[in-house]
Amino acid sequence: MRSPRFALAIPAWAWLVLFFVVPVGYVIWFSFGYKPGIFGTHANDVLSFDRYVEALSPTFFQTFLNTLWVGLAGTALCLLIAFPVVYWMAVKVSPSKRGLLIALVMIPFWTNFLVRTIGWQVILAPEGWLSTGLNTIGVLDGPLEILYTRTAVLIGVVYNYLPLMILPLFVAFDRVGAPLREASKDLGAGPIATLARVTIPLARPGIIAGVLLVFIPLMGDYITATVLGGAKGNMVGQLVASQFQTAQNWALGSAMAVLLMLVIALSVAIGAVILWILSLPFRSAHRLVLGPES
Amino acid sequence: MTADTPIRILANASASRIIGRELTRRGFLSAAVAVGAVGALAACTPTSTGGSPQASGGPLENKLSIYTWGEYDAPEVMSAFTSELGPQIVIDSFSSNEELISKLVAAKGTSGYDIVVPTGTFIPQMVENGLLTKLNRDLIPNIEHMDSAFLGRDWDPNNDYSICKAWGTTGFVYDKSVITRELKTWNDFLDAAQNEASGKTSVLDDPGDITGIYFWANGIDWDTTDAGNLDAAEEYLVNTLAPHLAAFDSYPGGQSIPQATMTLMQVWNGDARIGILEGGEPDRWQWVLGAPVTEIWMDNWAIAAGAPNPEAAHAFINYVLTPENSLAELDYIGYHTGGTDIEQAANDAGFEMLDLVFFTPEQIATMRTGKVTEAQGRLVDIWNKMKAAAGA
Amino acid sequence: MRRTHRHGLGREVALWIWGILVLLFLFAPIAVIVVSSFNSGRLLVAWDGFSFDPYLAIFEKPAIRDAVWVSLRVGLFSALVATTLGTLAGIALARRPGKWSAWFIGLLLLVTVTPEIVDAVSLLPWFVTLGQDVGIAAFNDGLVRLTVGHSIFSTAVVAYIVRARLVGLDANLEEASADLYAPPIRTFFRVTLPLALPAVLAGGLLSFTLSLDNTIVSAFVQVSGSTPWPVYVLSALRGGLRPEIGAVSTVMLVLTLVALGLVAIVLRRAGDSATDIARTMAGS
Repeated sequence: MRSPRFALAIPAWAWLVLFFVVPVGYVIWFSFGYKPGIFGTHANDVLSFDRYVEALSPTFFQTFLNTLWVGLAGTALCLLIAFPVVYWMAVKVSPSKRGLLIALVMIPFWTNFLVRTIGWQVILAPEGWLSTGLNTIGVLDGPLEILYTRTAVLIGVVYNYLPLMILPLFVAFDRVGAPLREASKDLGAGPIATLARVTIPLARPGIIAGVLLVFIPLMGDYITATVLGGAKGNMVGQLVASQFQTAQNWALGSAMAVLLMLVIALSVAIGAVILWILSLPFRSAHRLVLGPES
Repeated sequence: MTADTPIRILANASASRIIGRELTRRGFLSAAVAVGAVGALAACTPTSTGGSPQASGGPLENKLSIYTWGEYDAPEVMSAFTSELGPQIVIDSFSSNEELISKLVAAKGTSGYDIVVPTGTFIPQMVENGLLTKLNRDLIPNIEHMDSAFLGRDWDPNNDYSICKAWGTTGFVYDKSVITRELKTWNDFLDAAQNEASGKTSVLDDPGDITGIYFWANGIDWDTTDAGNLDAAEEYLVNTLAPHLAAFDSYPGGQSIPQATMTLMQVWNGDARIGILEGGEPDRWQWVLGAPVTEIWMDNWAIAAGAPNPEAAHAFINYVLTPENSLAELDYIGYHTGGTDIEQAANDAGFEMLDLVFFTPEQIATMRTGKVTEAQGRLVDIWNKMKAAAGA
Repeated sequence: MRRTHRHGLGREVALWIWGILVLLFLFAPIAVIVVSSFNSGRLLVAWDGFSFDPYLAIFEKPAIRDAVWVSLRVGLFSALVATTLGTLAGIALARRPGKWSAWFIGLLLLVTVTPEIVDAVSLLPWFVTLGQDVGIAAFNDGLVRLTVGHSIFSTAVVAYIVRARLVGLDANLEEASADLYAPPIRTFFRVTLPLALPAVLAGGLLSFTLSLDNTIVSAFVQVSGSTPWPVYVLSALRGGLRPEIGAVSTVMLVLTLVALGLVAIVLRRAGDSATDIARTMAGS
């Protein structure tokens, strides 16, 4: 019965090679070329690394630092907000209602991105709903100045990336749910110990998937952070897009894209190493395995 | 170079590859051909198109495909065209000229779009890359209803490829409850941005318009490629202005004015008009046309190379240029369509705030058309540096 | 089965409050749009007066309906493609890891790390090549192009989620089934797939949602007659967003909520057997 171990991955692999590796590889190739004339976008008859030198500008790194801040803060907030919600859904809510709850989490995102954003602006504007409400009940005196600040950047980011954290967490989490909690209680462990020693380790694949699915796309995103945060949400993806679109310089845009991909990959790698080092003292001697539910 | 050249080239496989390489060297069609294998493969395909169908006044096709900005045309004009002349209209939307151009370049005359609506500054690039087909002006007699001031612009001096669809200009809007002095020029704008409106100022999200503020304010030619001018602009915009900016927003009229989130906004006239009209507080906001000079931009009717329904396309352009349809279009989008006596008609129809739609000949004389130059890369660079400085 | 612990009551209440607050947070801007959709004015967010006109306008503008219809179909197709491919890949990653899996995860990471604009500018000429030069007519079709374009990122997402689900589970059951000489296909459909099902459904839901919002790739690969909804909305900014944009969003929201309510009622009426289905769906 032994087919190759990767047999089941072949369709996805073929699909991604055909529609991702080949075309994207071709565009990456442009990064070794140049922009010919005003109206051309790229040419590859003379090859060089010049575009990479151009791409490695102070602007790139300055913008990257801002991006990294948004990426880290946004991912951390998503995790902190999603974790209790998912715990609630997977453990406290009756099984028959969980599917409905997951659907409820997703439905707001079936309204267009731009339209949702406009909804937020109406709420957060200095003379908007929230400001008026807070002034009426006396919590606030004067207009709410929150739009176009770093707080607004984070509201926009958290709002739009929350489902990408909740879903992977949920599917990993709900296996950990009730039975294991019972078992731990029977062993006499307190709630914090249960969380730290049982729940989190078992939900770890989901946490990792959620963190990656929020952090990586967020680092390349240049729209979400700006819609509520304005200039404070400036992201490095904007540099790439501006070269491909406004400057019509695909050679430089491509080099910047490669650079961006490298620094994101590097950030993920550094993060993984830090996590691994931090987890060493907590690593328990035995591995927890959850059997299939009977 | 006529517009249907690329298709004729494609007819002969072996020759076209050589021609293609030859043309690449001259920067012509570079985008399409330099996709390398893609371009070469394209050349090998026997094409059935055999040349762009030119309109000759024959019977109209039963379809018409328009690729334009979203919500940019009055629905009643569209439906009236179909019921009077027959062709069913399919509308598709783009949100930037670059998208439009990328699409037409990649499709090499087979995009399926008939009418496209590019902004004037992009037309030379599109003509040079063979993306547009020449208009048969015999089929568009209604061009006589157009004001000559909006014909024959730099990008298409004889209107061979394009006719004005709508045009606008750039100025700014400020909140009179915060800025109590009167602002009149770009210099006033820059001063207020650093004082009363610091941290509450937005500028258009476009490198040309942003750097334009500096050039217009300082009497420098907008199309300058002089390194000294560009350096000075960068120094001022990045270090002095950018830290005071809250957002780069091309459409503040839709939200920022009605929601009063900004104090000072660089804005296009039609967008400002809608925002002030609909925002509920028309007395709070003051519109100022950029001075001493500012820009004029123009979106234009044009026909894509390889358009499958050229007769219907010509018929539509002709149809929409009649005074009554032109007025309906102006009413719907809030921008001047370039018709001759349309100002009187709009006044008679009782449209509001027409001082943000129509401008005096003296004002129009201060409006400059932009141009894509070798400095484009540098301008984008300044734009990105401003964003980095404003975001820090 | 759940049991309520007396000493955990405070925590339990706090969790319920937090969960409901987050749901309110998610729906807050949507509520604004629902209210704004009854605006008689010219701009979505500048209130003028109450009116049903925006809803009538939907009927007058075929472009709006077409765009929504394109998006819904593409969302469904791309979710199907991504879920199928991603589930198989995720199962392989969790159950048959080996040297290959490092390379494959690397590929998936590459997919997620690539800026969308790069996908967009590279897919467009590639589709033209496949459609016109290689002669595979399907790639000239707007729906096919959009479906493929949207499925790339989603495939990686589904694979991650399915893998995350299965990695936490023991493979005993599948091994037992194999030991009993069940054919691999049957083991797959009877054991592995049901175990992965919540992840598969969640991944499909996420793929559909991501597709509904995809703007950048869509804008580049669309052809005549296939403008999807987000591209339409973005392009409409130039003339100022009108209330009908909110009306369409509201109609979509109401239809979705009604459908969800129906599912809930059917599940409740159908009793025990359906409770099992619900359980399976929810993955308990």
